[in-house]
Amino acid sequence: MAKRSLVSIVDDDESVRESLPDLLRQCGFAAQAFSSAEAFLASEAVSETRCLILDIAMPGMSGPDLQQELIRRRQEIPIVFITAQGDDTVRPRLLAHGAAECLLKPFSETALLDALNIALRRRS
Amino acid sequence: MEAPLEPPADEVTQLRGCLNDLVSIMALSALWTGGEPPQIVSTLQDTLLGMLRLAFVFVRLNDPEGGGSIEMVRFAESSEGTARAREIGEAIDSSLRDAPLTRSPRARVRVGDDDLSVASARLGPQGEFGIIVTGSQRRDFPAETERILLDVAANQAAIGLQRARLLSLKKEVAERRRTEESLRERERESRLILDSIPGLVALLTATGDVEVVNRQVLEYFGQTLEDLRQWGTNDTIHPEDLPHVIEVFRRSISSGNPYEIVQRFRRSDGVYRWFANSGFPLRDTNGHIVRWCVLLTDIDERKRAEDALRASERNLKLIIDTIPALAWSARPDGSAEFFSQHYLDFMGLSADQASDWGWTAAVHPDDLNALAATWQRIMASEELGEAEARLRRQDGEYRWFLFRANPLRDEKGNIVKWYGINTDIEDRKRAETESKVAEEALNRARTELAHVARVTSLSTLTASIAHEVNQPLSGIVTNASTCLRMLDANPPDIEGARETARRTIRDGHRASDVITRLRALFSKKEFTLEPLDLNEATREIIALSLSELQRNRVIVQAELAADLPSITGDRVQLQQVILNLLRNASDAMVGVDDRPRQLLIRTEREGGDRVRVTVRDAGVGIAPQGMDKLFDAFYTTKSGGMGIGLSVSRSIVERHHGRLWVEPNDGPGATFAFSIPRNLEHVMDAAHVVRSS
Repeated sequence: MAKRSLVSIVDDDESVRESLPDLLRQCGFAAQAFSSAEAFLASEAVSETRCLILDIAMPGMSGPDLQQELIRRRQEIPIVFITAQGDDTVRPRLLAHGAAECLLKPFSETALLDALNIALRRRS
Repeated sequence: MEAPLEPPADEVTQLRGCLNDLVSIMALSALWTGGEPPQIVSTLQDTLLGMLRLAFVFVRLNDPEGGGSIEMVRFAESSEGTARAREIGEAIDSSLRDAPLTRSPRARVRVGDDDLSVASARLGPQGEFGIIVTGSQRRDFPAETERILLDVAANQAAIGLQRARLLSLKKEVAERRRTEESLRERERESRLILDSIPGLVALLTATGDVEVVNRQVLEYFGQTLEDLRQWGTNDTIHPEDLPHVIEVFRRSISSGNPYEIVQRFRRSDGVYRWFANSGFPLRDTNGHIVRWCVLLTDIDERKRAEDALRASERNLKLIIDTIPALAWSARPDGSAEFFSQHYLDFMGLSADQASDWGWTAAVHPDDLNALAATWQRIMASEELGEAEARLRRQDGEYRWFLFRANPLRDEKGNIVKWYGINTDIEDRKRAETESKVAEEALNRARTELAHVARVTSLSTLTASIAHEVNQPLSGIVTNASTCLRMLDANPPDIEGARETARRTIRDGHRASDVITRLRALFSKKEFTLEPLDLNEATREIIALSLSELQRNRVIVQAELAADLPSITGDRVQLQQVILNLLRNASDAMVGVDDRPRQLLIRTEREGGDRVRVTVRDAGVGIAPQGMDKLFDAFYTTKSGGMGIGLSVSRSIVERHHGRLWVEPNDGPGATFAFSIPRNLEHVMDAAHVVRSS
């Protein structure tokens, strides 16, 4: 059986960290959740992650900060941003800056899977 | 022995006559004293002619200076006179030449038809004065006594001539001496004149060599005349001036034209002083140059003063041209006379173009009238004055200048000139404008910030609420999805589904908690009571929202009651309510295109010591069935809204013991209004009393 693609989730909100990995695993991905960008960067998951689901507003390093840091490190992981505060203006801006997709919380399972498909296709 | 006792009588008579004659001859010398040679000769001839009864007496006088000789002949009265003088002269001449006359006792000479006896005698021991020749018809001439008389007479004449010559020499010497004396006197006078000229004077030869100089020259230079003659090769003239002086001098000497040179001459103490050196030729009656007269005038102090003045002028010009200002002067009538180079360069005008009123072409058209008026006023006041105007720089840019004018008066106090300076105040002006703008901007920003801070607390709150609610909602959705997947799996993951369902419930509670916290947030919110003018608070909100309202093409009409009493309340919270109502009204009219987007905001006094604020729009209006839900939290009719505004507004109004309500209009749109009691403290105290009891 082919190795499952690792999808990492970085979000300071516990309910997301709790719920999203389970859903991703149900959908056939490997999933790992981190409570901060710093924690993700410190982990080995950085090199294995095939797609990153990233919260925008977090204490400490924000989602876009992490995106920049990964570009600096030449770790070009496709990113799906998620936010609870976003409005219509946020998404195009993030897409323009290289994000695979941007989902406004709450998002449906379908929207999530579509976003992951876009991201993983980009990866390959 | 017989001795002659007595001479014969006629011999005695003869001797006596001879002695008489000798005495007469000896007496002649007394007559000759002071006489001239011709006079001496003439007397001698007369005496001998009579004494010796001669036919003629010839005398040749030699010129002692070696010049020609004078011949004089005197004849006996009976003889035929002067006609024969030449003959006699020639005869004697030849006889003298042939046989120089000696003391020969007798000789015969033929004169014309006559054969005459002649006797001669030298005048002077060697005949240096000449010779005397006597002739007689008598054949026995000269007798012995006659011979003696002739010799004595010749000797006497020689003595007389000698004396006359000495006298003449003496006279000559005296004459020469007198001449020399007078020459010396003239020279002394010339010298005196030269020396008394208040300047240095030199006379040069026609070829330019120094001949004479006056005392002042010698004193000034402290050199000898010989040194001065070498002026072209020594340090008499300042080395810097020398080549020029030599050139001019030579040209002048050769052309004969006067010259004038300003140069430095070395004084005896080694100091070089400035002189005006002028030379002009002196000509004789034929126009030939005989001398050059040179006048040296000490102009050192004048020159230095001039140099100092020039330097000062240069300096002044330098100052005028370098000061960072435009300098000018104007005539009493106000027309411009002078512009500093700086000024002309700035305007890009020539002095001619700028003069009089030409410069006004560079004044900004908007400033010209005011500047002209101010200038007229300053001139009328005759006092220092200033004005501000823009001047066009040559590149076309206008810059602000401060014009300052100061009058110059004569001793009577009349204004003879105006002096002015224009200072570039563009930067100051700009800074002033900028600082004014900046200050205004700052004030505006400050005001806006204050308002935005008040007002955005609502939208910040909205975003914050959205975040708080969206997080658990997100969890709910995700968990529910997971739960379904787990149940759909084969075999179903019942335990997992149960777990996710529990999480879903928990997130649901979390969402509910958010609303509870929100309520608590408003109820806990610091409530600041202060006296406030609701009209002013409303005006501020209108001003704050005006740009947004205008962008939405909303026409705002404010009817603020003049008699509205001051109330007590939380200014910020009440302004939030007003703003919320305004925005709602504006939003309600976004889609309205068939009528004016009219918005009326009104304040009024109500009965029962209350005030009311009404906001009426011409928007989409509210469906009757929505009326009740309108003030519930999270109810919204707007796609972009979260439905919190009216809920929060109502809670604020209620905190003020007031009431917020909505009514449909007769026409399109709706009217929102709130009413609060004027004196809140009074109401609260009453409420407190009620609660406590």
